[in-house]
Amino acid sequence: MKRLPLSVRFPLAVYRTLAGLMPRRFRCEWLSDAERDLERTLAATRATRGSRAAWTEGIRAALDLVARIPAEWWAARGGRGRGARSDGLGWGDGIMSWLIELRQAARALARRPGFSGAAVLTLALGIGANVAIFAVVNTVLLRPLPYPDSDRIVALRHHAPGLDLPELESSQGMQNFYREDADFFAALAAFGTPDRNLVGGPRPERVELGAVTPEIFDVLRVQPVMGRPFNQGDVAEGAAPVVLLMDAAWRSRFGSDPDVVGRTIELDGVVTEIVGVMPRGFAFPSVGAVALEPMRIDPHGPFGTFGLPAIARIADGLSVADAQSRATELQARIPEYFPDLTAEFLRQAGWTVTVQRFQDRIVGKDVADALWIVLGTVGVVLLIACANVANLFLVRAESRQKELAVRAAMGAGVWRIAAGFLAEAVLLGVAGGALGVAFAWAGIELLAANGPAALPRVHELGMDATTFGFASALSVVTALTLGAFPLVRYGGGRLARALRDGGRGTTDGRARHRTRNVLVAGQLALALVLLVGSGLMLRSFQALRTIDPGFDGRDVLTVGMSLVEGADNAEAARFHQEVADRVATLPGILDVGLTSLVPLGRGSANGGSFYVEGIERSDEELPPVSMYKVIAADYLASMGQELLEGRTLDRDDWQDGAAPVMLVNASFRDRFLGGEALGKGIRWDEEGTYARIVGVVADARERSIREAPGPWAYLPMRVADWGYPNLSWMYVLVRSAPGVAVPVEAIREIVTELDPTVPITSVRSMQEVTAAAIAGTSFTMVLLAIAAGVALFLGAVGLFGVISYVVSQRTREIGVRVALGAKREDIRGLVFQQGAWVAASGVVLGLGGAAALTRLMRSVLFQVSPVDPISFVVAPALLLVVAVSATWLPARRASRVDPVVALRAE
Amino acid sequence: MSPRPSRRSSPIPLKPVWFHILLALADGARHGFSIREAVEKRTDGAVRLWPATLYGSMRDLSDAGLVEALEGEDDPDDDQRRRYYRLTPRGRDALRGETDRLQALVDAARATRALGSV
Repeated sequence: MKRLPLSVRFPLAVYRTLAGLMPRRFRCEWLSDAERDLERTLAATRATRGSRAAWTEGIRAALDLVARIPAEWWAARGGRGRGARSDGLGWGDGIMSWLIELRQAARALARRPGFSGAAVLTLALGIGANVAIFAVVNTVLLRPLPYPDSDRIVALRHHAPGLDLPELESSQGMQNFYREDADFFAALAAFGTPDRNLVGGPRPERVELGAVTPEIFDVLRVQPVMGRPFNQGDVAEGAAPVVLLMDAAWRSRFGSDPDVVGRTIELDGVVTEIVGVMPRGFAFPSVGAVALEPMRIDPHGPFGTFGLPAIARIADGLSVADAQSRATELQARIPEYFPDLTAEFLRQAGWTVTVQRFQDRIVGKDVADALWIVLGTVGVVLLIACANVANLFLVRAESRQKELAVRAAMGAGVWRIAAGFLAEAVLLGVAGGALGVAFAWAGIELLAANGPAALPRVHELGMDATTFGFASALSVVTALTLGAFPLVRYGGGRLARALRDGGRGTTDGRARHRTRNVLVAGQLALALVLLVGSGLMLRSFQALRTIDPGFDGRDVLTVGMSLVEGADNAEAARFHQEVADRVATLPGILDVGLTSLVPLGRGSANGGSFYVEGIERSDEELPPVSMYKVIAADYLASMGQELLEGRTLDRDDWQDGAAPVMLVNASFRDRFLGGEALGKGIRWDEEGTYARIVGVVADARERSIREAPGPWAYLPMRVADWGYPNLSWMYVLVRSAPGVAVPVEAIREIVTELDPTVPITSVRSMQEVTAAAIAGTSFTMVLLAIAAGVALFLGAVGLFGVISYVVSQRTREIGVRVALGAKREDIRGLVFQQGAWVAASGVVLGLGGAAALTRLMRSVLFQVSPVDPISFVVAPALLLVVAVSATWLPARRASRVDPVVALRAE
Repeated sequence: MSPRPSRRSSPIPLKPVWFHILLALADGARHGFSIREAVEKRTDGAVRLWPATLYGSMRDLSDAGLVEALEGEDDPDDDQRRRYYRLTPRGRDALRGETDRLQALVDAARATRALGSV
């Protein structure tokens, strides 16, 4: 045949391809005529007017074809025949035949509810877990904070590693410094979360407030829905006290009163005017805050006392990195602004600043790491679920061989048959996805209600468009993955061989089991990775649990009491001591202590630099720094903290006129005092009286269970006289005899009797406090353990299914063997061997995978190496035990095959 | 499938393309390409029937019962078998009816004073 020129051939090819979009009727009846006409026209045009004209004609013809498609489909609607023949051309027809294929698949699945139910449920578990965890990741890590342009909101942190102070917030002085010089911030604000006594309800109440500088409204770009924001007048000296109510408080406490602006509430005994209401969903600085109060920054505030969180909005046109570099440059000018600081001091302190996205600051790296690990874990579970369903699929495909053979014999191509599987896979994937979303929904509700308090932004948790998109994408990918397995099996001409193989032979072809064996080995390997991971978490958790915190929290209850701030310290001290004394008389109470800070509890610790009597310190030298807290009554006894040397503090130590004394811990003694502490004098100011060290206590983990304890000082209640922490906020620590419940109501009565305006708050056992301190680890551990359990279960089911299937296929062969004299043990061994091979391959693969992947977990592990030998031995052993059990049943069945029955069966 | 009476009852006014095709078939059966050539020739190339439009219209016209296909007539121009089409009586009626309708239009236009000189 004579070869056509390109200017004819190419438009024709395009035309033919596009014609695939036409309905079948058009293609069958008219397309060949149309193509022949076009070829003739193009050839003629080329001959008379050149190839350029032919190209143009070709394009116009193609456009004409496309324009005609809707009309042809409209005309073709309704008159469809069933089981349309595919000639490999028609996309449009493809769509129609796909619908038919899907309908057939739906019928086929409905005929086998057991298979379909198992597959859908398995997929739903896998998809549901992924969607639920993704929703958490999306909410906590990905979704921007609910403020306009929230990416431009940053947090400021300072660092002075040279002073043993790795993480510092900002300070009043630094706020003034930045406000004056940092033009790279469009707005800069500071905030805090003070607690206030709210009087007026049935009993005095301790509520959380947000204290914010007026600039916060520019930083967050949020305005009150009612009333006005704070202004500079509200923070002027002598300004009338005002608050802005949060939406929830406005609804619950003021019954959504539309005239609430102008009404008053009493906070810490001060009558305060309500000037507005914040919008719904506004949860800054914390979810629990009931109102905002204005925060005043002292224009002459000092450089030090870094307890003030700072937040800023970056100026337009600058990036976070720009702001970071500009802020770093600016630090060099601190000595100009604070004349008593030298550049040398800053250098020794290792002074730096970090400008960090506020969102990252809120979430924190630990949580982010844990969430990504959990998401990866549930992803692995989904893989295993897919492998399991794929195996079910393959088994089903084998059992359908007769039907497939008939279809193939009647002219159905490989792709046609594969399309049938794909249709089933799509239906299963979609059904599994829908059910999975329902599971995820339930899981998210559960998590939002009971999630660990340590999980930030948990109150925002919910399904959104992104999560739905993720769920849909996941279902589609799952379906395509499932559908691909039969393709692998039957693609590339393997169908005929498979069908030939599948006749009435004696034993299945060896190759037929390979795909399934590989799948099961893969499942076991993945399950092993998760097992090792959860083993590592378990070991971390154990390490955290068994660590000696330096105190004994068993049978200890902590009860917070808060006096009105600004109360006289001597009076406060007497009040607390009186409470402790009265509580000690309650039955079953062994020891009662008082402290300003519960070990591992919430609340910020105090610390500062100090001077040691007799040791001169040059200006250039860095001062020693220690944390401190106030203790009183029988603190050491109530906490079970050991006294190493000297004596403990007693009630005379806080009385007026008593000589100032203090305790230090062993770290303090060894680091700063050369091992000799008793009798040394310490003062926290350059001027003033030295306090004598009268005792040394054992180190206790006060701030974090993970970190080794640093130097701590324990001060009597009169330290407040020196301007250090005021005593309005103290905890009573009550150690009861084992098994005796501490009468919380009796304690409340004692407090109310002494002062009816003092609320009791945060009643928690020390065990709860400790559990909260390791909540992040236990949360990750529990999720990983659940995932690993599910993975192991699915893996075992997969192995069981495959071995059972093999046994059922080999019944005839086994019958022959038994008839020829094989012993039952031999048969059992034969089957076991096959299971063992699969399991062993899984273990080898899994160990490799675990070794490669567990290093990603390093940041969430505690005192455990990512290649912890125990986890790497126990987990495979557990897997092998489960694998052997999964093989045992089918092996037993094989060994009981009756040769007569087996041979008669076919 | 039941016929759609509304469409069957009156194809008039005819689509211009249909009119051209019916006209091309008025003096005897033709195959597709020949219809196309005839239309192009009659209109001096102003109306070009691209293949999809042509055969789509042929399908429309057969559905409407205005033309019918004759299988298996040889095309004298090439050695391939082609499908020939011819007018049905209904098609002939439609062609006549449309011509009358156009004629009436033209008469009306000529009778208008604004176009009197045309």
